[in-house]
Order: sequence, then C-alpha cells, then structure tokens
Amino acid sequence: MAKKQKKYTIPLWWGVGTRYIVSQIIKDGIYAVPTIIMMLLLLTVAPTFAQTTIPEIDLDRIRRSTVYIMQTRTIGGIPVVTCVGSGTLIDRSGLIVTNAHNTVTNTACSGDTIVISLSILPNEPPVPSYYAEVAQADIGQDLALLRISRELSGRVVNSDALALPFVELGDSSLVNLDQTITVVGYPDVGNSSVESLRGTVGSFIAEPIGGDRAWMKTDTPIPGTMTGGGVYNQQGQLIGIPTTVPIRPLSADETCLLLADTNGDGLVNDRDSCVPIGGFINTIRPSNFVRPLQRGAALGITLGRITQPFVQLETGGEATVSRLFIAPSEIDGMPTTVASSLPTGTDSLYLFFDYRNMTPDTIYELRVTIDDRPSPTFSLAPVRWGGGGNGMWYIGSRGQVYPNGIYRFTLYINGLASGSREIIIGTPQPNAPTFSNIAFGVEDGDNLYGRNNVLPTGIVVNARFIYRNIPEGAQWAEIWYYDETIIRRNDATWTNDTQDTRILRVEAPGGSPLPSGRYRLELYLDGLLLATSDFVVAGAREGAFPRVFSNLRFTSADSLEEAVGNPSVRTFANTTREIYGLFDWEFIAPGTLWRAVWSVDNVAFYDQTLPWDNIETGQNFAMLLTSTSRIPDGTYRLQLFIGPALLATFEAQVGIGQLPIDPFAQATGVQMNGRVLDAETRVGIPNVSFIVISEDFSVEDFVWRADQVYTMATTDRNGRFQLERPLQLGLPYSVIVVADGYLTVSADGVEVDAETENPLEVVIVMTKD
Amino acid sequence: MGLVEITGREQILIRQQRLGHFFTLLVIILALLYSLNLRNGVVNATVPYTDLQAGITVNYPLNWLLDTSGDYVFRVRDMSRIGFKTTLQVTLRPVGPDMTERNVLDALNITRPITLSTYDIQSVEQIMLTTERPATLMRYTYVDTETNPFLESFPIVVAGEDILTLSGGQAIIITFRTDARTFEQDRPIFLQFLRTLEF
Repeated sequence: MAKKQKKYTIPLWWGVGTRYIVSQIIKDGIYAVPTIIMMLLLLTVAPTFAQTTIPEIDLDRIRRSTVYIMQTRTIGGIPVVTCVGSGTLIDRSGLIVTNAHNTVTNTACSGDTIVISLSILPNEPPVPSYYAEVAQADIGQDLALLRISRELSGRVVNSDALALPFVELGDSSLVNLDQTITVVGYPDVGNSSVESLRGTVGSFIAEPIGGDRAWMKTDTPIPGTMTGGGVYNQQGQLIGIPTTVPIRPLSADETCLLLADTNGDGLVNDRDSCVPIGGFINTIRPSNFVRPLQRGAALGITLGRITQPFVQLETGGEATVSRLFIAPSEIDGMPTTVASSLPTGTDSLYLFFDYRNMTPDTIYELRVTIDDRPSPTFSLAPVRWGGGGNGMWYIGSRGQVYPNGIYRFTLYINGLASGSREIIIGTPQPNAPTFSNIAFGVEDGDNLYGRNNVLPTGIVVNARFIYRNIPEGAQWAEIWYYDETIIRRNDATWTNDTQDTRILRVEAPGGSPLPSGRYRLELYLDGLLLATSDFVVAGAREGAFPRVFSNLRFTSADSLEEAVGNPSVRTFANTTREIYGLFDWEFIAPGTLWRAVWSVDNVAFYDQTLPWDNIETGQNFAMLLTSTSRIPDGTYRLQLFIGPALLATFEAQVGIGQLPIDPFAQATGVQMNGRVLDAETRVGIPNVSFIVISEDFSVEDFVWRADQVYTMATTDRNGRFQLERPLQLGLPYSVIVVADGYLTVSADGVEVDAETENPLEVVIVMTKD
Repeated sequence: MGLVEITGREQILIRQQRLGHFFTLLVIILALLYSLNLRNGVVNATVPYTDLQAGITVNYPLNWLLDTSGDYVFRVRDMSRIGFKTTLQVTLRPVGPDMTERNVLDALNITRPITLSTYDIQSVEQIMLTTERPATLMRYTYVDTETNPFLESFPIVVAGEDILTLSGGQAIIITFRTDARTFEQDRPIFLQFLRTLEF
C-alpha cells in the first residue's frame, strides 16, 4: 500500500519537543485552503502539548466512563431507589463492572431494576440514561458485570451501535506497595458530579481465593457510594474496585439514607426502607478478579451444570468461626506452623480459622488492633464471604512489615464479634519449640503417594513434620480427625532428638481403606497447638497420584444421552452451538470442595469451588457450554481441582482455535474531540462526518471502504464531535471531513504523541462550496 | 423651428462579426452543457460491487462508504449528507420452504420496533421488479436519535423502503433509508440502484 509518500514535519518553533507531524496530499487545489486552515487550527493547540512531559492519567475519559448505579423497585407504580453505587464502563457496548451486593437482588438490596446514570457534563451530577441487567456476577467476590440493555424509554439498545467511553482493565498483579492510585466514583446519592481521589496502595491482604493479593488497601478514605467504582494506575487502567458491604440490620443513619416513602403511608420516616451507603471504604478488590467475568460476558456463552445434585448437603444454621490461630506462613492454603509470638521484622502473618454455615450473603470483617489502637492497614472492611460453606480459611499478608506490638485480630460475622486471637510481635524467642511443615502421603512400602494434600484411598496415611527445640520429656500429642471426629489420639512423652523430622501414621481399623473425605492432624506440645494441617482422601491410586477425575472429554450432541455415547472431540466446527464437558469420578466424599475452571485462550471465564454433592463414584458428570448463536472460535480448556491439586484437564479447539481480536478493545491513547464550524458564520455545522482513516492508508488511497476507517464521528447540533476510538501514539492517521455544501477538508499524517494534550480539542473550519 | 433628431447609428455587423458572436454563444452553451454533464457524471457516478458468495452484483453511488462487516451483505452510506446518512443496504435471510414474503415482513415488523423509535409502517404493496420478479414493497418511518449520550442532537425522522423478494431459499431485503424531508428527492438514487441490482 502506498502510504504517506509526501510526509514531512511541520516545524513547531514554539513547542519544545512537540512533534506534530502533518503531511498533506491535496488531491485538488481547491481543498488547499480549508486543509491549511485545519492544519493551522490543529497546530494552535500544539503548544499546550509541550507543557507536560510525563503522560497524565486521562481523567476526562475515566470520569465519562464512570457511571452512577441505582437499583430500584416499583412501589405503587413509582420506582423507588433501593441501593446505589458506582460502576465503570469497560467496553464500548455498555459492559459495566461494579459490586454485586448493590446490583444483584438480595435481602438488603431487593430492587429488580438497574438504572445507569452517566456523567454527561463535567462538574454536573449524573443523568439517568439507560437500564442495565446483570450479565455475570460472582456474589462471594462481590463483583458483577452489568450490560446496558434498554434506553429509559424501554427501547432495546443495539449494543453494536453504542460507542460509549470506556477504560481498559489493568493487571492488578503488577501493583506495588506505595504505588499512587486514583479512585473515581460518585461521592453521594447522585447529587454530585463524579469525583476522583488520589492515594497510595498501603497494603495487600491474602485469602485462599486470590492468594497474596485477594485485596488491596489504600490510605485514602473512600465514600461508601463509591463502592463499585474504579481505582486506576498512572496509565489510566482500571486496577481495582473499591468494595464494601453495609452491615445488616439497616437503620436510618449516616450509613443508610431515607430517600422515599417505601411503605406507601404518605410519610418518609423510620418505617421506610433506607438506602444503604455504608461507611468509608479502604478496601479494593483487584481487577484481575474481573477478567473471568469479563471474558464470560464478552463471549456471550452460558455454562450450565447438567448433572443434578444427588446428595442433599447440610445447609442452614448460624454462620460461625472457630479455632482461630496465627501462622507465619502458608503452603497450599495450609499453615506451616502455629505461632503465639513472632520476632521483630515479621513481614508475613496469616490468621487461620474454621468456618461453618457461611454463604455468599454472609458479611465478614476483620478488625486488627495494635496495642489496643485500631490498625486500618491490617484490617479488612466488611465484605462478602468468598469461600464455601464449611472449611478452613485464612486472611493475612506477606511482604509488609508488622510493627512490634500486641496484636488482636477480631473476626466479625454479620456485624457480630465471633472470635478473636492475640499475638505479640517483637518478642525474641530464638529457641522456642516448634512443629512445622506437615506433609501427608499414602504409604506403600517405603514410598509416600499423594499430591498437594490430596491422597488416594489407602490403608495407611503418613504425616511427616519438622520439629525443633523440643525438650526431651515434654508432653506432646497427635490428634487425627476425620470430618471433625477424632479417629486417633496419641498423648506421649517426647523422646526424640531436639530437632529433625518425624513420621506419624494413621490407619483405618480392620485393615480396610480409609474412607474418602476431609482429614486433619493437630500436633500439641504441653497442651498448646503447634502445628496443624488438613488433607483430603479422594480417588483411586494410579501410580504415585490419586485418580479422582478421569475420562474428561468434550463432545457435541443434541442431548445428554447422545453426548454420553459420542466420542471425545478435540476440534469443533465454528458453527458449534453446544459443547458438553463430561468426566467420571471416583471416591469423592459428599461435601469435599472441588473446583472447575473453564478457560478460553488461557483466560478463565468460569471458576467455581463447590462442595461435592453427588455419589462417591460415578460416570458422566456433565456440564454444558451453550451459545444462542455459535460458540466463538478459541481454544477451550476445562480443569478440575481439589484444593490446589490439578487433577484433570482437557482442551479442544473451536474454529481456528483463537478468539478474534477486538479492534475496539483499546481504550488508551489520545481522545480527539472538537467542533466543526462554518467559516462564514462561525456557527457549528451539524451532522458533518469526521472520518479518521487507518494509518495504513492515505487520503489518496481511501476508496470509501469501512475497513479503511479507523474511527469516525458525526457532529451534533452544535457542531461538536467525539471520536469513538482514541488515537494511538505515533501512528500517522489521515482525516477527511465531509458535508454536503462544503468543501471537503482532508489531511494526511495527523499524529499524536505522549506529549499531546489528552483529550485533544480541535476546531475545523469548513468553507461553503 | 427646426427639429433635430438624434438617433444612434444603426450598427451594421459584418458577416465575420456575426459569426464571431455565434461561435462565442455556441462555445458558452457547449461549455455549460459540458459542465452539466461533468457535474452529472460526478454526482451520478457509480461504483460496481460484486459479492460472489451471495451472488449479488450492483452499482452504488461513488464516494458512499461501503461496509460489509454487519449482519448484511453490504451497506453503503452517503457520509457527506447533512442529516441522516442516506443508506442503501442488501440483506439476506434464510427462509423455510413454507415461508412467504409476508411472514418475513411480519418478522421484521415485530423486531424493528424494539430498536427503532416510533417505528411506523406506512404501506405495503406488491410490485414487479425490472427483472419481472414479483416483490413486496414496504414503506415505513422511524425516528433516528444520537446514540452518543454525550452529544446533543435533534431526532431525525427517517423514511425507509424495503423491497423484499424470495429466491433460492432465502429472502433478499433491499433497504433504502433517508431523511424524510428529502425522501422524494433522494428516491431516484434508490431506483437507479435497483436497476443495476442483479441476484
């Protein structure tokens, strides 16, 4: 393609370092005058580009991408606001990331309609513009993806025709401590314009889901209505979502506002439902948690479970926590040891606890005090529960120094203190006795078998652990549990060396294999818990590892019966509408937590940990991937886990085996806005087409094909326009401005760079022909 | 008293002068005709388009923006138009063996009001295409609004025509949409487009 043959650089004598390369190919001499006028007008904005050498965050775009969300329900024919929050547009077709607690219908937020308000004018309150519906949600992680679906008139929105401003998701794993962040959201219940706050990342909080970066903490207090909004890095990428949940029961105060007569008695008083806004937030859910939801929503596919539960698991009861203890580190979700004090300079600490009857609606909170003073750095604001119903959990952090002091960790469940633990940091205990690093294996001869605390069924389970500084003659105990019932207890006097490794064993009575299920070992010294770890027995032994899931395969069929008989398929046609994922299983006790992860092109779009609710051994557990049109091209993978152990995986291609590239996915660059004026009257010209041609073509090459167009815009009644896509740095675009009755304006080599003002405002003057 | 009559002296043109005037006028007329022809050539110039897969050949106006990426075979729009961008579009829809043109129109009329504001059917009539193929012509109007909420624009009343015919197990829908205020003025473009359409 002949491109930009006549490019040259316009010298900018007033702009140090500013490069604004404009070349022009004038097809007709008559176009020269307006083209030069356009160039000069473009150049008149150039001097301001040079005033900033460091790229500034594109706050204008971010603010316009930030929406105010109202969940409503209709009472007496009038919509009444039930919950509010902020959200962020993450694609041009109206996909919004926000919290689940104030959008997905629940006890505290009982509305059934979601209204989206946009920040139409700077420094003005948001304007209700659309209805949205929930496209994807993870209640436990408190994340939801909304899709704009209707205009307020009720008319369905053609998402392909929408060109809303949006921001890109950043990689939250790259965020560092003390990194500068910008928090954007609405500071009240829709009365104020969108607000941005600057702050830094003060700490990270670890949990089993998300690992060391399950949460980020900031030193900036964020208003409660900003929950669900956006946290941005210096590149303007979304790296987190401020998150908190108002604690029930709700009563009207500064955290819950009375806005409307919800009981229809003609009065607005304490008997009406208030709108919860919560207190200030300093907890941020990293944006990497959004990616599976975003991928799932973008694909437009649905994943359903075909095999129905066979075993009724125990549910209900009061949510409780118990057996709180502190560990200095964790391996695969298990504590390495149990600490009652830690030395100066400790930079890793985890609070472990058992939990029962928890649900995604459960709200939990960690309050930490140091020497009786609250510590916001290590506390966690009230958030939704992200784990399963029963099990062992941890919350902590790594890589940040804990100052010396007496720490008290108190867990609150649904607003009530449910357990606490104290530890001293800064007390030197160089020769403290320890048991640590318990590892399990099924014994077969001289070998131990298993994988990541998942052991195949066998007769004997061995536990190897490290001991240090254990005085001879000390009283110690080993206690083995199966599903919370003691199956072996051994109290004895320590007779070994002071430090080494030791192996313990447990076996089922009568020489029968140990039943599948969850086990635990606790090691005590002089009545103090010094080490503990859980393991799961599941599956048959195959070589050195457990065979829990087998015959994992994909197939295509019109029904489950047909799918069961069909062969495994590795390559599907691009017209496929349904893919079955099938597998067999062996020796999985009901209640055992297992995890299924579906991904496409290495990005997960479904990741759920669930208690096993089927018989112990069976065949053809089925999941079904469906699409209303066709399943997009890509490489699809299903992985099955128990705990951290990956036990089965299967991969297949659909179509060309790779997702198509979305040319509109990029939100970074320079946003060009402006006005088109009549040269004579200086009045804006409406409905003028402003066309930006792709960098691969010049005006001369342009043959009016849409695939040559990079982006375009039409002016409004004031002659204003906003390009749908930001211009990328360093690329020489060409521009054509056309309107009946006016001379066409065109230019080649329109280029922006890091020093260009963002958004870039241009004025184009057109002359009547 | 004497009367003096002052009159202009009659100019007597010689033959060469008369011929000179004649040729001058002739040149001006020819130049005007040439200009008009040139203008018509530019204004009415067309570009051929062929889609072998869909089996469609047609000429569309020069400098209209061609787009083949949507759920249509192709669409061209006059981007220079102030107001609604006049649009010509050809769409194919698979139809069952028992489906009639009326069934296809009904499907269109059910779905369009969901996305097109105040969609209103003006008339439906049977016509004969120039290829002697029977077809159904439906006229309708709707209101086009700016999709960018950050811009201020007045809604535009759009007038549209669909010509629908069934062929080879599929419905061919030829669509013309333009600003209602200039519908009659723009319609010849559509008729010219139809005359060149082959499928």
